[in-house]
Amino acid sequence: MNPGVIDLSVWQLGLALLLVAAVALVSLRQALGLERDLALGAVRTIVQLYGVGFILAAVFAAARWYWVVLILVVMTGVATHAAVSRLSKPLPRGYSIAAAALTVSTAATLAYVIFVVVQVRPWYDPQYVIPIAGMILGNSMTGAALAGERLQGELRTRAAEVEARLVLGFSGREAAQPLVRAALRAAMIPTVNGMMTVGLVQLPGMMTGQILAGSSPLVAIRYQIVVMFMLAAATAIGALIFVRLAVRSYLTPAHQLRRYLL
Amino acid sequence: MPEPIFAVERLSLAHSARRGVPAVPILKDVSFTVERGQALTLVGASGSGKSSLLRCLNRLVEPSAGTVRFEGRDVRSLEPRRLRRDAAMVMQSPVLFEGTVRDNLLLRPAGVGGDYSDASLARTLGEVGLDKELLERDASTLSGGEMQRVTIARALLGDPRVLLMDEPTSALDPPNAALVVDTVSRLCESRGLTIVAATHQPELVRRLGGHLMYLVKGEARAYERVDELAARAHDGLQAFLAGERGVEAAAP
Repeated sequence: MNPGVIDLSVWQLGLALLLVAAVALVSLRQALGLERDLALGAVRTIVQLYGVGFILAAVFAAARWYWVVLILVVMTGVATHAAVSRLSKPLPRGYSIAAAALTVSTAATLAYVIFVVVQVRPWYDPQYVIPIAGMILGNSMTGAALAGERLQGELRTRAAEVEARLVLGFSGREAAQPLVRAALRAAMIPTVNGMMTVGLVQLPGMMTGQILAGSSPLVAIRYQIVVMFMLAAATAIGALIFVRLAVRSYLTPAHQLRRYLL
Repeated sequence: MPEPIFAVERLSLAHSARRGVPAVPILKDVSFTVERGQALTLVGASGSGKSSLLRCLNRLVEPSAGTVRFEGRDVRSLEPRRLRRDAAMVMQSPVLFEGTVRDNLLLRPAGVGGDYSDASLARTLGEVGLDKELLERDASTLSGGEMQRVTIARALLGDPRVLLMDEPTSALDPPNAALVVDTVSRLCESRGLTIVAATHQPELVRRLGGHLMYLVKGEARAYERVDELAARAHDGLQAFLAGERGVEAAAP
Protein backbone atom coordinates (compact mmCIF):
# COMPACT_ATOMS: atom_id res chain seq x y z
CA MET A 1 0.00 0.00 0.00
CA ASN A 2 1.13 3.49 -0.80
CA PRO A 3 2.35 5.04 2.46
CA GLY A 4 0.57 8.33 1.66
CA VAL A 5 -2.90 6.80 1.62
CA ILE A 6 -5.19 5.96 4.54
CA ASP A 7 -6.62 2.51 3.87
CA LEU A 8 -10.41 2.22 4.24
CA SER A 9 -11.93 -0.56 6.30
CA VAL A 10 -15.29 -2.18 5.61
CA TRP A 11 -16.64 -0.29 8.66
CA GLN A 12 -15.59 2.99 7.11
CA LEU A 13 -17.42 2.05 3.89
CA GLY A 14 -20.46 1.35 6.07
CA LEU A 15 -20.21 4.86 7.49
CA ALA A 16 -20.15 6.26 3.93
CA LEU A 17 -23.30 4.27 3.20
CA LEU A 18 -25.04 6.38 5.87
CA LEU A 19 -24.83 9.28 3.38
CA VAL A 20 -26.99 7.33 0.94
CA ALA A 21 -29.31 6.37 3.77
CA ALA A 22 -29.75 10.07 4.48
CA VAL A 23 -30.66 10.67 0.84
CA ALA A 24 -33.18 7.81 1.05
CA LEU A 25 -34.71 9.46 4.09
CA VAL A 26 -35.10 12.73 2.18
CA SER A 27 -36.66 10.80 -0.70
CA LEU A 28 -39.17 9.18 1.68
CA ARG A 29 -40.08 12.40 3.47
CA GLN A 30 -40.48 14.35 0.21
CA ALA A 31 -42.26 11.46 -1.52
CA LEU A 32 -39.73 11.49 -4.37
CA GLY A 33 -40.16 7.76 -4.93
CA LEU A 34 -36.43 7.31 -5.48
CA GLU A 35 -35.71 4.90 -2.57
CA ARG A 36 -35.78 1.73 -4.66
CA ASP A 37 -33.52 3.14 -7.37
CA LEU A 38 -31.27 4.60 -4.72
CA ALA A 39 -30.93 1.23 -2.98
CA LEU A 40 -30.32 -0.53 -6.29
CA GLY A 41 -27.80 2.14 -7.26
CA ALA A 42 -25.94 1.78 -3.98
CA VAL A 43 -25.82 -2.00 -4.29
CA ARG A 44 -24.67 -1.80 -7.91
CA THR A 45 -21.98 0.72 -6.98
CA ILE A 46 -20.60 -1.66 -4.37
CA VAL A 47 -20.87 -4.83 -6.46
CA GLN A 48 -19.55 -3.31 -9.71
CA LEU A 49 -16.63 -1.52 -8.12
CA TYR A 50 -15.64 -4.55 -6.03
CA GLY A 51 -15.82 -6.69 -9.16
CA VAL A 52 -13.66 -4.26 -11.11
CA GLY A 53 -11.30 -3.96 -8.15
CA PHE A 54 -10.68 -7.70 -8.00
CA ILE A 55 -10.21 -7.97 -11.76
CA LEU A 56 -7.82 -5.04 -11.86
CA ALA A 57 -5.87 -6.35 -8.89
CA ALA A 58 -5.46 -9.66 -10.73
CA VAL A 59 -4.44 -7.97 -13.99
CA PHE A 60 -2.00 -5.67 -12.17
CA ALA A 61 -0.43 -8.65 -10.44
CA ALA A 62 -0.16 -10.68 -13.64
CA ALA A 63 1.12 -7.73 -15.73
CA ARG A 64 0.71 -9.55 -19.05
CA TRP A 65 0.02 -7.60 -22.26
CA TYR A 66 -2.77 -9.96 -23.35
CA TRP A 67 -4.72 -9.46 -20.13
CA VAL A 68 -4.48 -5.72 -20.59
CA VAL A 69 -5.63 -5.96 -24.21
CA LEU A 70 -8.52 -8.20 -23.18
CA ILE A 71 -9.62 -5.65 -20.58
CA LEU A 72 -9.45 -2.92 -23.23
CA VAL A 73 -11.58 -4.98 -25.60
CA VAL A 74 -14.21 -5.59 -22.90
CA MET A 75 -14.22 -1.89 -21.98
CA THR A 76 -14.68 -0.95 -25.64
CA GLY A 77 -17.56 -3.41 -25.93
CA VAL A 78 -19.33 -1.95 -22.91
CA ALA A 79 -18.75 1.60 -24.14
CA THR A 80 -20.11 0.64 -27.58
CA HIS A 81 -23.28 -0.71 -26.03
CA ALA A 82 -23.66 2.38 -23.84
CA ALA A 83 -23.16 4.76 -26.77
CA VAL A 84 -25.74 2.96 -28.94
CA SER A 85 -28.33 2.67 -26.19
CA ARG A 86 -28.13 6.39 -25.52
CA LEU A 87 -29.54 7.14 -28.99
CA SER A 88 -33.26 7.87 -28.83
CA LYS A 89 -33.97 6.13 -32.15
CA PRO A 90 -32.29 2.95 -33.40
CA LEU A 91 -29.48 3.64 -35.81
CA PRO A 92 -29.03 1.18 -38.69
CA ARG A 93 -25.73 -0.69 -38.22
CA GLY A 94 -25.40 1.26 -34.96
CA TYR A 95 -23.24 -1.29 -33.18
CA SER A 96 -20.67 -1.61 -35.97
CA ILE A 97 -20.51 2.15 -36.34
CA ALA A 98 -20.06 2.79 -32.62
CA ALA A 99 -17.53 -0.03 -32.33
CA ALA A 100 -15.51 1.36 -35.25
CA ALA A 101 -15.61 4.91 -33.92
CA LEU A 102 -14.63 3.97 -30.37
CA THR A 103 -11.94 1.49 -31.41
CA VAL A 104 -10.23 3.90 -33.77
CA SER A 105 -10.46 6.94 -31.50
CA THR A 106 -9.29 5.01 -28.44
CA ALA A 107 -6.50 3.16 -30.22
CA ALA A 108 -5.17 6.33 -31.85
CA THR A 109 -5.34 8.54 -28.76
CA LEU A 110 -4.13 5.84 -26.38
CA ALA A 111 -1.19 4.90 -28.59
CA TYR A 112 -0.10 8.51 -28.88
CA VAL A 113 -0.33 9.15 -25.14
CA ILE A 114 1.29 5.87 -24.08
CA PHE A 115 4.11 5.69 -26.63
CA VAL A 116 4.80 9.33 -27.45
CA VAL A 117 3.68 11.59 -24.59
CA VAL A 118 4.02 9.62 -21.34
CA GLN A 119 6.41 6.95 -22.76
CA VAL A 120 5.21 4.17 -20.50
CA ARG A 121 7.58 1.15 -20.22
CA PRO A 122 6.54 -1.55 -20.73
CA TRP A 123 3.80 -0.10 -22.92
CA TYR A 124 1.14 -2.39 -21.42
CA ASP A 125 1.81 -1.35 -17.80
CA PRO A 126 -1.77 -1.68 -16.51
CA GLN A 127 -1.27 1.06 -13.92
CA TYR A 128 -1.13 3.57 -16.79
CA VAL A 129 -2.91 1.93 -19.71
CA ILE A 130 -6.16 0.96 -18.00
CA PRO A 131 -7.08 4.25 -16.29
CA ILE A 132 -5.98 6.31 -19.31
CA ALA A 133 -7.92 4.05 -21.70
CA GLY A 134 -10.94 4.32 -19.42
CA MET A 135 -10.93 8.10 -19.56
CA ILE A 136 -10.43 8.09 -23.33
CA LEU A 137 -13.22 5.58 -23.90
CA GLY A 138 -15.62 7.41 -21.61
CA ASN A 139 -15.13 10.64 -23.50
CA SER A 140 -15.18 9.05 -26.95
CA MET A 141 -18.41 7.36 -25.95
CA THR A 142 -19.99 10.59 -24.76
CA GLY A 143 -18.79 12.39 -27.88
CA ALA A 144 -20.13 9.71 -30.21
CA ALA A 145 -23.47 9.47 -28.41
CA LEU A 146 -23.93 13.26 -28.28
CA ALA A 147 -23.03 13.62 -31.94
CA GLY A 148 -25.26 10.71 -32.97
CA GLU A 149 -28.22 11.93 -30.96
CA ARG A 150 -27.83 15.43 -32.38
CA LEU A 151 -27.44 14.12 -35.94
CA GLN A 152 -30.68 12.16 -35.63
CA GLY A 153 -32.47 15.22 -34.27
CA GLU A 154 -31.09 17.43 -37.02
CA LEU A 155 -32.13 14.93 -39.69
CA ARG A 156 -35.65 14.77 -38.29
CA THR A 157 -36.13 18.53 -38.14
CA ARG A 158 -34.15 19.44 -41.25
CA ALA A 159 -35.05 16.63 -43.66
CA ALA A 160 -36.78 19.09 -45.98
CA GLU A 161 -33.63 21.19 -46.09
CA VAL A 162 -31.51 18.15 -47.00
CA GLU A 163 -33.93 17.24 -49.77
CA ALA A 164 -34.03 20.82 -51.00
CA ARG A 165 -30.28 20.50 -51.61
CA LEU A 166 -30.64 17.05 -53.16
CA VAL A 167 -33.16 18.31 -55.71
CA LEU A 168 -30.72 21.06 -56.67
CA GLY A 169 -28.27 18.33 -57.62
CA PHE A 170 -26.09 18.23 -54.53
CA SER A 171 -24.66 14.89 -53.41
CA GLY A 172 -26.04 13.26 -50.31
CA ARG A 173 -22.90 14.09 -48.42
CA GLU A 174 -23.00 17.74 -49.46
CA ALA A 175 -26.70 17.96 -48.66
CA ALA A 176 -26.21 16.65 -45.12
CA GLN A 177 -22.96 18.50 -44.41
CA PRO A 178 -24.48 21.40 -42.40
CA LEU A 179 -26.25 18.86 -40.18
CA VAL A 180 -23.06 16.87 -39.68
CA ARG A 181 -21.32 20.09 -38.70
CA ALA A 182 -24.04 20.92 -36.16
CA ALA A 183 -23.76 17.42 -34.67
CA LEU A 184 -19.97 17.66 -34.36
CA ARG A 185 -20.20 21.08 -32.72
CA ALA A 186 -22.72 19.74 -30.22
CA ALA A 187 -20.36 16.89 -29.36
CA MET A 188 -17.29 19.11 -29.00
CA ILE A 189 -18.77 22.00 -27.01
CA PRO A 190 -18.77 20.28 -23.57
CA THR A 191 -15.10 19.36 -24.00
CA VAL A 192 -14.12 22.84 -25.12
CA ASN A 193 -16.07 24.37 -22.24
CA GLY A 194 -14.40 21.90 -19.89
CA MET A 195 -10.99 23.17 -21.01
CA MET A 196 -12.13 26.74 -20.26
CA THR A 197 -13.11 26.09 -16.66
CA VAL A 198 -10.90 23.19 -15.62
CA GLY A 199 -9.49 23.70 -12.11
CA LEU A 200 -11.58 26.81 -11.50
CA VAL A 201 -14.88 25.21 -10.58
CA GLN A 202 -13.75 21.82 -9.38
CA LEU A 203 -10.64 19.72 -9.55
CA PRO A 204 -10.86 16.96 -12.15
CA GLY A 205 -11.41 13.47 -10.77
CA MET A 206 -8.10 12.08 -11.91
CA MET A 207 -6.12 14.95 -10.47
CA THR A 208 -8.03 14.68 -7.20
CA GLY A 209 -7.28 10.99 -7.06
CA GLN A 210 -3.60 11.53 -7.76
CA ILE A 211 -3.33 14.16 -5.03
CA LEU A 212 -5.18 11.91 -2.57
CA ALA A 213 -2.75 9.14 -3.49
CA GLY A 214 0.14 11.34 -2.43
CA SER A 215 1.35 12.91 -5.68
CA SER A 216 2.59 16.46 -5.66
CA PRO A 217 -0.05 18.81 -7.12
CA LEU A 218 2.55 19.95 -9.63
CA VAL A 219 2.91 16.41 -10.97
CA ALA A 220 -0.86 15.96 -10.88
CA ILE A 221 -1.55 19.07 -12.95
CA ARG A 222 0.92 17.99 -15.63
CA TYR A 223 -0.96 14.72 -15.97
CA GLN A 224 -4.21 16.61 -15.97
CA ILE A 225 -3.03 18.85 -18.82
CA VAL A 226 -2.13 15.78 -20.87
CA VAL A 227 -5.53 14.30 -19.98
CA MET A 228 -7.45 17.41 -21.06
CA PHE A 229 -5.77 17.48 -24.46
CA MET A 230 -6.08 13.74 -24.84
CA LEU A 231 -9.80 13.86 -24.06
CA ALA A 232 -10.34 16.66 -26.56
CA ALA A 233 -8.73 14.51 -29.24
CA ALA A 234 -10.64 11.38 -28.19
CA THR A 235 -13.99 13.18 -28.22
CA ALA A 236 -13.35 14.77 -31.59
CA ILE A 237 -12.11 11.59 -33.27
CA GLY A 238 -14.90 9.47 -31.78
CA ALA A 239 -17.62 11.96 -32.74
CA LEU A 240 -16.17 12.54 -36.21
CA ILE A 241 -15.96 8.89 -37.17
CA PHE A 242 -19.34 8.10 -35.63
CA VAL A 243 -21.18 10.92 -37.40
CA ARG A 244 -19.45 10.37 -40.74
CA LEU A 245 -20.45 6.70 -40.71
CA ALA A 246 -23.89 7.30 -39.17
CA VAL A 247 -24.94 9.85 -41.78
CA ARG A 248 -24.16 7.28 -44.46
CA SER A 249 -26.81 5.01 -42.94
CA TYR A 250 -29.38 7.65 -43.74
CA LEU A 251 -28.20 8.26 -47.31
CA THR A 252 -27.97 5.95 -50.31
CA PRO A 253 -25.38 5.79 -53.09
CA ALA A 254 -28.06 7.32 -55.35
CA HIS A 255 -28.04 10.43 -53.12
CA GLN A 256 -31.38 9.72 -51.48
CA LEU A 257 -32.38 10.51 -47.92
CA ARG A 258 -33.89 7.40 -46.32
CA ARG A 259 -36.72 9.34 -44.73
CA TYR A 260 -38.53 6.27 -43.47
CA LEU A 261 -35.67 5.65 -41.05
CA LEU A 262 -36.00 9.04 -39.36
CA MET B 1 -44.74 9.39 -82.44
CA PRO B 2 -42.31 11.37 -80.24
CA GLU B 3 -40.87 9.69 -77.22
CA PRO B 4 -42.60 10.54 -73.93
CA ILE B 5 -40.45 12.50 -71.48
CA PHE B 6 -41.54 10.23 -68.64
CA ALA B 7 -42.74 6.67 -69.05
CA VAL B 8 -43.71 4.98 -65.81
CA GLU B 9 -44.43 1.28 -65.84
CA ARG B 10 -46.05 -0.75 -63.09
CA LEU B 11 -44.52 1.33 -60.35
CA SER B 12 -44.91 0.07 -56.79
CA LEU B 13 -43.51 1.46 -53.60
CA ALA B 14 -43.52 0.02 -50.11
CA HIS B 15 -41.27 0.76 -47.21
CA SER B 16 -40.83 -0.92 -43.89
CA ALA B 17 -39.11 1.15 -41.27
CA ARG B 18 -37.56 -1.85 -39.59
CA ARG B 19 -36.87 -5.47 -40.33
CA GLY B 20 -39.78 -7.64 -39.31
CA VAL B 21 -42.31 -4.84 -39.59
CA PRO B 22 -44.56 -5.49 -42.61
CA ALA B 23 -44.05 -2.96 -45.38
CA VAL B 24 -46.84 -0.45 -45.90
CA PRO B 25 -47.78 -0.15 -49.58
CA ILE B 26 -47.57 3.46 -50.75
CA LEU B 27 -47.94 3.02 -54.52
CA LYS B 28 -49.48 0.03 -56.30
CA ASP B 29 -48.83 -0.82 -59.91
CA VAL B 30 -49.02 2.69 -61.34
CA SER B 31 -48.36 3.21 -65.07
CA PHE B 32 -48.57 6.37 -67.19
CA THR B 33 -46.66 8.51 -69.64
CA VAL B 34 -46.05 12.25 -69.80
CA GLU B 35 -45.52 13.81 -73.24
CA ARG B 36 -42.92 16.52 -73.70
CA GLY B 37 -44.32 20.00 -73.07
CA GLN B 38 -47.50 18.59 -71.57
CA ALA B 39 -48.74 18.71 -68.02
CA LEU B 40 -49.85 15.97 -65.69
CA THR B 41 -51.55 16.77 -62.43
CA LEU B 42 -51.75 14.22 -59.65
CA VAL B 43 -54.88 14.56 -57.59
CA GLY B 44 -56.00 12.62 -54.55
CA ALA B 45 -56.54 12.78 -50.82
CA SER B 46 -53.60 13.27 -48.46
CA GLY B 47 -51.70 10.02 -48.18
CA SER B 48 -52.82 8.78 -51.59
CA GLY B 49 -49.21 8.61 -52.79
CA LYS B 50 -48.98 11.77 -54.92
CA SER B 51 -45.79 13.03 -53.30
CA SER B 52 -44.18 9.60 -53.34
CA LEU B 53 -44.97 9.21 -57.01
CA LEU B 54 -43.33 12.56 -57.80
CA ARG B 55 -40.31 11.60 -55.75
CA CYS B 56 -39.90 8.41 -57.75
CA LEU B 57 -39.67 10.49 -60.93
CA ASN B 58 -36.47 12.27 -59.88
CA ARG B 59 -35.33 9.23 -57.91
CA LEU B 60 -35.48 10.93 -54.56
CA VAL B 61 -37.20 7.69 -53.58
CA GLU B 62 -36.36 4.22 -54.86
CA PRO B 63 -39.43 2.27 -56.07
CA SER B 64 -39.86 -1.29 -54.84
CA ALA B 65 -40.90 -2.49 -58.28
CA GLY B 66 -41.49 -1.14 -61.77
CA THR B 67 -39.51 1.28 -63.91
CA VAL B 68 -39.35 5.01 -64.51
CA ARG B 69 -37.93 6.07 -67.85
CA PHE B 70 -36.79 9.65 -68.41
CA GLU B 71 -36.38 10.50 -72.10
CA GLY B 72 -36.31 6.81 -72.88
CA ARG B 73 -33.70 5.82 -70.30
CA ASP B 74 -34.27 4.00 -67.06
CA VAL B 75 -33.61 6.52 -64.27
CA ARG B 76 -31.48 3.92 -62.51
CA SER B 77 -28.97 4.21 -65.35
CA LEU B 78 -28.78 8.01 -65.00
CA GLU B 79 -26.61 10.02 -62.62
CA PRO B 80 -29.19 11.07 -59.99
CA ARG B 81 -27.72 14.56 -59.55
CA ARG B 82 -27.97 15.21 -63.31
CA LEU B 83 -31.51 13.80 -63.41
CA ARG B 84 -32.57 16.10 -60.58
CA ARG B 85 -31.31 19.15 -62.43
CA ASP B 86 -33.07 18.09 -65.64
CA ALA B 87 -36.25 17.28 -63.74
CA ALA B 88 -36.23 20.02 -61.11
CA MET B 89 -38.48 19.81 -58.09
CA VAL B 90 -40.39 22.41 -56.14
CA MET B 91 -41.33 21.27 -52.67
CA GLN B 92 -44.54 21.80 -50.77
CA SER B 93 -43.01 24.14 -48.19
CA PRO B 94 -40.46 26.47 -49.71
CA VAL B 95 -36.96 25.92 -48.31
CA LEU B 96 -34.74 28.97 -48.52
CA PHE B 97 -31.27 29.01 -47.02
CA GLU B 98 -29.59 31.68 -44.95
CA GLY B 99 -28.58 34.71 -46.98
CA THR B 100 -30.09 36.91 -49.64
CA VAL B 101 -32.39 35.95 -52.49
CA ARG B 102 -29.33 36.19 -54.72
CA ASP B 103 -27.43 33.69 -52.52
CA ASN B 104 -30.36 31.33 -52.80
CA LEU B 105 -30.61 31.63 -56.55
CA LEU B 106 -26.87 31.06 -56.94
CA LEU B 107 -26.95 27.92 -54.79
CA ARG B 108 -25.82 24.99 -56.92
CA PRO B 109 -23.26 22.18 -56.77
CA ALA B 110 -19.73 23.05 -57.80
CA GLY B 111 -19.03 22.53 -61.46
CA VAL B 112 -22.54 22.66 -62.89
CA GLY B 113 -23.00 24.87 -65.92
CA GLY B 114 -25.74 27.33 -66.74
CA ASP B 115 -26.22 31.07 -66.91
CA TYR B 116 -26.01 32.53 -63.43
CA SER B 117 -25.24 36.10 -64.51
CA ASP B 118 -27.05 39.02 -62.89
CA ALA B 119 -29.07 39.50 -66.05
CA SER B 120 -30.16 35.88 -65.96
CA LEU B 121 -31.10 36.08 -62.26
CA ALA B 122 -33.16 39.23 -62.89
CA ARG B 123 -34.83 37.68 -65.94
CA THR B 124 -35.72 34.51 -64.07
CA LEU B 125 -37.14 36.46 -61.14
CA GLY B 126 -39.24 38.34 -63.69
CA GLU B 127 -40.51 35.03 -65.07
CA VAL B 128 -41.93 34.11 -61.68
CA GLY B 129 -43.43 37.57 -61.27
CA LEU B 130 -40.87 38.96 -58.84
CA ASP B 131 -38.96 42.21 -59.09
CA LYS B 132 -35.17 42.13 -59.46
CA GLU B 133 -34.93 44.56 -56.51
CA LEU B 134 -35.62 41.48 -54.42
CA LEU B 135 -32.16 40.04 -55.20
CA GLU B 136 -30.51 41.81 -52.26
CA ARG B 137 -33.30 41.07 -49.79
CA ASP B 138 -32.68 38.71 -46.90
CA ALA B 139 -34.55 35.57 -47.91
CA SER B 140 -36.07 35.14 -44.47
CA THR B 141 -38.00 38.43 -44.83
CA LEU B 142 -40.04 37.27 -47.85
CA SER B 143 -43.71 36.34 -47.72
CA GLY B 144 -44.66 32.68 -48.22
CA GLY B 145 -45.75 33.30 -51.80
CA GLU B 146 -42.54 35.16 -52.61
CA MET B 147 -40.49 32.37 -51.05
CA GLN B 148 -42.24 29.74 -53.15
CA ARG B 149 -41.68 31.78 -56.30
CA VAL B 150 -37.98 32.18 -55.42
CA THR B 151 -37.69 28.39 -55.12
CA ILE B 152 -39.34 28.07 -58.54
CA ALA B 153 -36.86 30.60 -59.95
CA ARG B 154 -34.01 28.66 -58.33
CA ALA B 155 -35.25 25.47 -60.01
CA LEU B 156 -35.58 27.24 -63.38
CA LEU B 157 -32.00 28.54 -63.28
CA GLY B 158 -30.76 24.98 -63.70
CA ASP B 159 -32.53 25.07 -67.08
CA PRO B 160 -34.66 21.98 -66.43
CA ARG B 161 -36.81 20.22 -69.00
CA VAL B 162 -39.35 19.13 -66.40
CA LEU B 163 -40.70 20.84 -63.33
CA LEU B 164 -41.98 18.49 -60.64
CA MET B 165 -44.17 20.26 -58.13
CA ASP B 166 -45.31 18.83 -54.83
CA GLU B 167 -48.42 20.77 -53.85
CA PRO B 168 -46.72 24.08 -54.57
CA THR B 169 -49.64 26.13 -53.28
CA SER B 170 -50.83 24.19 -50.25
CA ALA B 171 -48.63 26.06 -47.77
CA LEU B 172 -49.88 29.43 -49.06
CA ASP B 173 -52.89 31.62 -48.41
CA PRO B 174 -55.40 31.96 -51.31
CA PRO B 175 -54.04 35.19 -52.87
CA ASN B 176 -50.46 33.89 -52.79
CA ALA B 177 -51.62 30.50 -54.06
CA ALA B 178 -53.35 32.22 -56.98
CA LEU B 179 -50.13 34.06 -57.84
CA VAL B 180 -48.16 30.81 -57.85
CA VAL B 181 -50.81 29.08 -59.98
CA ASP B 182 -50.59 31.96 -62.41
CA THR B 183 -46.77 31.84 -62.45
CA VAL B 184 -46.63 28.10 -63.03
CA SER B 185 -49.22 27.94 -65.78
CA ARG B 186 -47.51 30.76 -67.68
CA LEU B 187 -44.16 28.96 -67.40
CA CYS B 188 -45.64 25.89 -68.96
CA GLU B 189 -46.49 27.93 -72.07
CA SER B 190 -43.50 30.30 -72.23
CA ARG B 191 -40.75 27.76 -71.66
CA GLY B 192 -42.44 24.71 -73.14
CA LEU B 193 -41.72 23.06 -69.79
CA THR B 194 -43.20 19.71 -68.95
CA ILE B 195 -44.93 19.95 -65.60
CA VAL B 196 -45.92 17.18 -63.24
CA ALA B 197 -47.70 18.60 -60.23
CA ALA B 198 -49.38 17.10 -57.20
CA THR B 199 -52.13 19.45 -56.17
CA HIS B 200 -55.41 20.00 -54.38
CA GLN B 201 -56.17 23.08 -56.42
CA PRO B 202 -58.70 22.68 -59.27
CA GLU B 203 -57.55 26.06 -60.56
CA LEU B 204 -54.04 24.71 -61.14
CA VAL B 205 -55.37 21.56 -62.84
CA ARG B 206 -57.55 23.62 -65.24
CA ARG B 207 -54.83 26.11 -66.06
CA LEU B 208 -52.16 23.47 -66.71
CA GLY B 209 -54.41 21.29 -68.84
CA GLY B 210 -52.88 18.08 -70.14
CA HIS B 211 -53.80 15.02 -68.10
CA LEU B 212 -55.11 14.41 -64.64
CA MET B 213 -54.46 11.30 -62.62
CA TYR B 214 -56.60 10.53 -59.59
CA LEU B 215 -54.94 8.41 -56.92
CA VAL B 216 -56.67 6.48 -54.17
CA LYS B 217 -54.44 4.76 -51.61
CA GLY B 218 -51.57 4.44 -54.05
CA GLU B 219 -53.63 3.22 -56.97
CA ALA B 220 -54.36 5.18 -60.14
CA ARG B 221 -58.18 5.29 -60.31
CA ALA B 222 -58.51 7.66 -63.26
CA TYR B 223 -56.27 9.05 -65.96
CA GLU B 224 -58.05 11.58 -68.15
CA ARG B 225 -57.55 14.56 -70.42
CA VAL B 226 -58.42 17.68 -68.47
CA ASP B 227 -60.23 19.36 -71.41
CA GLU B 228 -62.43 16.31 -72.02
CA LEU B 229 -63.17 16.04 -68.34
CA ALA B 230 -64.30 19.65 -68.13
CA ALA B 231 -66.75 19.13 -70.97
CA ARG B 232 -68.09 15.88 -69.62
CA ALA B 233 -71.32 15.11 -67.83
CA HIS B 234 -71.37 15.78 -64.14
CA ASP B 235 -69.36 13.36 -62.00
CA GLY B 236 -67.01 13.52 -59.03
CA LEU B 237 -63.90 14.57 -60.91
CA GLN B 238 -65.80 17.10 -62.96
CA ALA B 239 -67.22 18.57 -59.77
CA PHE B 240 -63.70 18.79 -58.32
CA LEU B 241 -62.45 20.52 -61.43
CA ALA B 242 -65.30 23.02 -61.26
CA GLY B 243 -64.35 23.73 -57.66
CA GLU B 244 -67.66 22.41 -56.38
CA ARG B 245 -66.31 19.47 -54.50
CA GLY B 246 -63.24 18.79 -52.35
CA VAL B 247 -60.62 16.37 -53.53
CA GLU B 248 -61.56 13.59 -51.07
CA ALA B 249 -65.15 13.51 -52.33
CA ALA B 250 -64.14 13.47 -55.99
CA ALA B 251 -63.26 9.78 -56.22
CA PRO B 252 -64.45 8.40 -59.55
